[in-house]
Amino acid sequence: MSSKNQNKPVDPAIIVFAGIALLAIAFVTAAYPAGADDSGAMSQLMVAFVTGLTTGGLSCLAVQGGLLASSLARQIEQDYAAQIPAGKKKAKLSAPKTNSALPILLFLIAKLIAYTLLGALLGWLGSYLALSPLTRAALMIAIAIFMIGNALRMFNVHPVFRYFAIEPPKFITRYIRKTAKGTDTATPIFLGFLTVFIPCGVTQAMMATALGTGSAAMGAALMFAFTLGTSPVFFIVAYLATKLGAKLEKFFMRFVAAVVLILGLVTLDSGLNLMGSPLSFQNMTRGFFPRASELAAADSPAVQVPDGELALTVRNDGYFPALLKAPAGKDLILNLVTNETYSCARDFVIPALDYYELLPATGVVKVNIPAQKAGETLFFTCSMGMYTGQIVFE
Amino acid sequence: MIKKIFKIEDMTCPNCAMKIESLEDDLEGIARVDASYRALQAAVEYDETKVSEERIIAALKEMGYTALVVEARR
Repeated sequence: MSSKNQNKPVDPAIIVFAGIALLAIAFVTAAYPAGADDSGAMSQLMVAFVTGLTTGGLSCLAVQGGLLASSLARQIEQDYAAQIPAGKKKAKLSAPKTNSALPILLFLIAKLIAYTLLGALLGWLGSYLALSPLTRAALMIAIAIFMIGNALRMFNVHPVFRYFAIEPPKFITRYIRKTAKGTDTATPIFLGFLTVFIPCGVTQAMMATALGTGSAAMGAALMFAFTLGTSPVFFIVAYLATKLGAKLEKFFMRFVAAVVLILGLVTLDSGLNLMGSPLSFQNMTRGFFPRASELAAADSPAVQVPDGELALTVRNDGYFPALLKAPAGKDLILNLVTNETYSCARDFVIPALDYYELLPATGVVKVNIPAQKAGETLFFTCSMGMYTGQIVFE
Repeated sequence: MIKKIFKIEDMTCPNCAMKIESLEDDLEGIARVDASYRALQAAVEYDETKVSEERIIAALKEMGYTALVVEARR
């Protein structure tokens, strides 16, 4: 073997992923020691970890992926700028070698610390910190505007979009420069902490569990276990996404900007859904483009309910039927039926009625709907603004 | 000490500002650099006896930026 091969540096992504994997193994070993009694607390932590590893990772990525993409976009811009100096626009363009492992790791560590602290606070303070769906919707819309503005800045649409770039205070950049020699560590850390404000549905379910523990230590341990579980999925998807991007050569920056723009628009749509706005893409197009799963569900037998009541089946992939019709001018009862439902669809919201309920995984919850005028539409959604539906009164 | 404002139109991201501020460490006679990506300019405070305006512009050129003095203050 040549010395050149022997000296080949190890991809930082492998080191980071190995670190996450070792941490996860250490956690599982500590939380579930062989031969030990299966105490309630330990199995609760294991459930939290496995939930994060399975459904939590992808679910959180759908909501928080935009913030991660923004962290990466900044690093990619930095790598790109370092490789192709300004003023040499005619230089042969090639894909930069991105150092994407570091910002992803910093983002995930910040997220892990933030959620552990949040878990401790939740366990201690109880329900005081719970954000209402409307507050979360407003935050999601604000974050969406930030993302769309940043994408337009990267597309160089207009100088005004430069104001969407995060410029940390000078004393921080000076400190970073002295310690990290130009590596931007503040942005992914800051954005990782921001994820606390946009928890996905599964995370919210876990936060509700943390509230119920009534202990700062247990709340922190629970959220740590869950967030650690989500980390491998976050890392793999994000890292592969950047590697895919690197192959797009001269379209690279535009590709990143386009991804941020799409995620921004998706986040905006989710925020509008969560506000119960008829202007969201899903609510405007429901009649025109029914999802395949909605069509399949239309063929299955409906849940039987007494006259004057409506039934809505809450499944892991949404609400069925997504379009309900009800008589106007009469109070009615909406039966929310779950059957081993663990997705964010469980976090049911009717924004116009200010109704929010975390449904049991299996069971029926009745909601009293006051009489509505003919022609009115009541929108409902999951707390992520991801799954939606509506009741039309006629 | 003199303070000059340099217009740098080819900054492409906030990191450019941070990169330009590293002149503080790299060039003798520079007391402070405050660069802004939003304003596309850098305020450089320096000792004229140790470093010249031309040397600063040349250093920025080496970093890949084209700078132009727009304002000077004593």
